[in-house]
Amino acid sequence: MKYIAEVDGLEFPVEILDEHHIRFGKEILKVDLAAVSGQPLYSLIVNGESFEGYVYPDEGGWQVLLLGRSYSVNIEDEREKRLRTPEAGLASPGREFTLKAPMPGLAVAVPVREGQQVEKGQILVILESMKMQNELRAPYAGTVARLRIKAGESVQQKQILLNLVASISTTTPF
Amino acid sequence: MFKKILIANRGEIAVRILRACRELGIKTVAVYSEADRQALHVRYADEAYLLGPSPARESYLRGDKIIDIARKCAADAVHPGYGFLAERADFAAACADAGLVFIGPKASSIAAMGDKAIARATVAKAGVTVVPGTEGEGSLQDDELLAFAPKIGFPLIIKAVSGGGGKGMRDVRNLEEMPDLIQSARREAESSFGDGNVYLEKLVEGARHIEFQIMADQFGNVIHLGERECSIQRRHQKLIEESPSPFLADDEPLRQRMGAVAVQAARAVDYANAGTIEFLVDKDRNFYFLEMNTRLQVEHPVTETVTGMDIVAEQIRVAFGWQLSRKQDDIRWRGAAIECRINAEDPYNGFLPSSGRITLTQPPTGPGVRIDTGVYAGFEISPYYDPLISKMIVWGETRSQAVVRMRRALEEYKIVGVRTNIPFHQTMMDTYPFITGKYDTRFVEEQFSMLDAAENRELYLDIAALMATLVAHVQMEHLAQVYGQLGKKSTWKWAGRRSRPNR
Repeated sequence: MKYIAEVDGLEFPVEILDEHHIRFGKEILKVDLAAVSGQPLYSLIVNGESFEGYVYPDEGGWQVLLLGRSYSVNIEDEREKRLRTPEAGLASPGREFTLKAPMPGLAVAVPVREGQQVEKGQILVILESMKMQNELRAPYAGTVARLRIKAGESVQQKQILLNLVASISTTTPF
Repeated sequence: MFKKILIANRGEIAVRILRACRELGIKTVAVYSEADRQALHVRYADEAYLLGPSPARESYLRGDKIIDIARKCAADAVHPGYGFLAERADFAAACADAGLVFIGPKASSIAAMGDKAIARATVAKAGVTVVPGTEGEGSLQDDELLAFAPKIGFPLIIKAVSGGGGKGMRDVRNLEEMPDLIQSARREAESSFGDGNVYLEKLVEGARHIEFQIMADQFGNVIHLGERECSIQRRHQKLIEESPSPFLADDEPLRQRMGAVAVQAARAVDYANAGTIEFLVDKDRNFYFLEMNTRLQVEHPVTETVTGMDIVAEQIRVAFGWQLSRKQDDIRWRGAAIECRINAEDPYNGFLPSSGRITLTQPPTGPGVRIDTGVYAGFEISPYYDPLISKMIVWGETRSQAVVRMRRALEEYKIVGVRTNIPFHQTMMDTYPFITGKYDTRFVEEQFSMLDAAENRELYLDIAALMATLVAHVQMEHLAQVYGQLGKKSTWKWAGRRSRPNR
């Protein structure tokens, strides 16, 4: 099986030869991966060098925490790689953003209403959790399309709070 | 000595107090909310009683229930820990009325220091310098605050009168943004302390937050146990504390002056038991009284580590009516201690709190490392309480040895199930201002960035790529097997194929 792993814009071709050997670029490496107590904490020995890190699935890719640093890794097998179109996921006008509760808590304030125009960074919801008030802000300018929460309501983790439709930027020529 | 003590708290601090009681041969009583049935403090205690549902106001803040339980189980004393009821004068008074010893200062001292505006006026009268602000003005309305602000000058801070732990505090840069910030400070103060009153204080730029640990008995003996440097903060929440302060370092005359003022401030309210005097120190080494915390502090182990004194045990002894076990001249400081607060917060995602079940915890051990915690693998970090998972304290003969040891310990510490701020601490231990001790209270918010600091670390792009690919591969193989099996009409055929040699 052949994969291409992309980190920080660099691509690393990885071919799995068997359970303990891979082709990494031109090199053949001896590898041994073990999940520590069946957890997303992994011990990896590569040609005798020992590493330990966390590997979490993250927004379609993977996040690796290794020696005090976080890496975002995207992995595709060769076929996917070939099929991929070069379109980028930028904040295009009309793009919809769904604000989900990052943790369970109490919505202490919802200082926006449906249909309201908001600026990038404007507070959408104030969520109290673990005794802290967390201000959830707009990732870009837009319009509050659908408000599904009222102040004073309790919310579950990942519950949808509102939808935001990106504004058509005035600088964009039509 | 006391026969039995009820611990009116949860988490790591309840465990810490239980340990002191155990060592003193005192029986312990834990109280707990529904969320904490399996918590460590419940399991370590001799007796445990349910308080009520998980929200604090229905459990750990129910002083009436706690006193009722203490009487029924014949406890002699109540230790409030920090937070919850620790700085509630009415609770301390209610304990006394019920014939229970409150392990802390007298209700009158808590009241005098608890209202931050009154506290500033009290110590100012005793000759202690305070940060300029609205002290002595009583509780002010929004328009009065707005009118007073220009007299203090910007930048300034809005603070909750009943505040603590960074709640209900807002920095204000100019008059225009002030009305909104007053509202949000009042709202947070109201929900955290049930008191939306706020006051104003000048923001001292480039200041360091340095506090002194006080210990006092009921015979008027007051000593200090030296300072703790607490300038590494985010949103006024302390993240790293150390002793000695690298800013005071060898400035022994300043340390002695500050220690003497701290003792004087404690005497001004006729203080007994453990307490902390917080100071702001500016670039020119002027220091100002900030507030007094009339309780055990989260970061007390830093002082225990450099002085060798068990502060919780000493609290219990002086509450029982013994004299302080040491005089000021007996206190000796040795080496350097650093504490990192390990919180369930994701430093890569705006420090958002992370709740969930801890599935694995592998704490560091070895020379000079202490961990105070209330969690274990299988424990659920709930959204009801603060995000503190543990406190890791290291000791070194010198500050640089302590920093190196902290780095080593952070790398060993593995927690799975919730996101933690361990990468933040690892990054901090590598930043130049921290290593050289040249930082102030604004450092984390204004100059520190996980990304910039990470630039200096060695890159392991290839290993990260390899690790993720192998994990993804293993999972895809696993999925392929599961779906493969489900998709087959006939399972025996699949099984037969699998067992075929050299498939």
